[in-house]
Amino acid sequence: MTVLILTCEQDVTADLVVAQLHTTGVPVVRLDPADLPGGVALSGEYVNGAFRGQLTTGGRSVSLNGLRSIWLRRPGVPATRVAEPSPWLTEESSQALYGMLRGTGARWMNDPDAARRARHKPWQIRHAQRSGLPVPATLITTFPQAARDFAERFPDLVVKPVSGTHPIAGAHPQQLPSTIPTSRITPGMDFTAVAFGPTLLQRRIAKVADIRLTVVGDRMLAARKALPPDADPDEVDVRYATSGSPWQPVDVPARTASAVRVYLRDAELAYGAFDFVEDADGIWWFLECNQSGQFGFVEMDTGQPIARSVADWLSHDGPDTETHRNGRMQSAP
Amino acid sequence: MRLFVLNYARTTEQLEFSAPYTYDSGLQLNVLPDGRIAAHDQALMRELGATTSTAGSKTHFDD
Repeated sequence: MTVLILTCEQDVTADLVVAQLHTTGVPVVRLDPADLPGGVALSGEYVNGAFRGQLTTGGRSVSLNGLRSIWLRRPGVPATRVAEPSPWLTEESSQALYGMLRGTGARWMNDPDAARRARHKPWQIRHAQRSGLPVPATLITTFPQAARDFAERFPDLVVKPVSGTHPIAGAHPQQLPSTIPTSRITPGMDFTAVAFGPTLLQRRIAKVADIRLTVVGDRMLAARKALPPDADPDEVDVRYATSGSPWQPVDVPARTASAVRVYLRDAELAYGAFDFVEDADGIWWFLECNQSGQFGFVEMDTGQPIARSVADWLSHDGPDTETHRNGRMQSAP
Repeated sequence: MRLFVLNYARTTEQLEFSAPYTYDSGLQLNVLPDGRIAAHDQALMRELGATTSTAGSKTHFDD
């Protein structure tokens, strides 16, 4: 039985898992849907009530009935590397590939439908609330007056993109290549421009640390990056922080662990990279859960076996029966 | 008509990125010129930021 990894060639984080699978001798096929058709070929037949299909790439061929699991990592958009790409060919190729794969019965990390839903930050926020995770007061609005009222109720705010993505050059008028870190709003800010696009405002949590909790199946691996005492309070976004303090392993508070399990179970996700901020009372405030979040940088700092956990999950034949936290196996709840 | 959130955008340089490793279709992972697995070179990965939570964020929803 083979593990299928859908990702781009440049994905060195996936390399960590491929190397683990090689070590354990688990067959793996890696391909980028962007190469379909061309470098990737597929065929599937539905005859006499049965399905048989195969994928080929780089001289490898795998039976679709022989797939153990599928890791939806960083796949390219189907049919985007053909000589004459078109939205129609992309749709045709996407439906052929993902339609066949959905019919295989292989385990997904993560299921594409669950993944698509889970990418929506507004959905994440509501889902976190329902799962029992503390969420900072948040407003998403195109009403300038609603933003002004919210700023009166919560004077210390941050702003971030609703989608979690960054503008691509030319994607919007006046747009240069840019990133938009989560940023603290200056008091007295003019919110008129909120009318020009959905804007996500959130109460700033005075944090003492950032938390990245990577969950692989039932295994929880949490890392904490402490804020230096002299940290600039305007430096909100850990991704762009200048602090050199490393990520360190940390135990997950029981209540948080319980809520995170509910979150992933109800979201139907096998993998999630949760971002929290920890306040002075030790409360972990939910910021977001990236259903395909990076983990290599955490593994490098902490030594936590995240890649191995992913490889283990992908290699596994049945449902998870063990619970792990920070790489230490614990009894199942 | 500048979106509110764009007041906080930071312009980034579009540097031509030339990774010192290449994809090996036989091994199905990226290797350095000396054959070592690139992802296992932690110093290089830190330098390039290739496994961080901003890697690829212009094209993926998965930081």
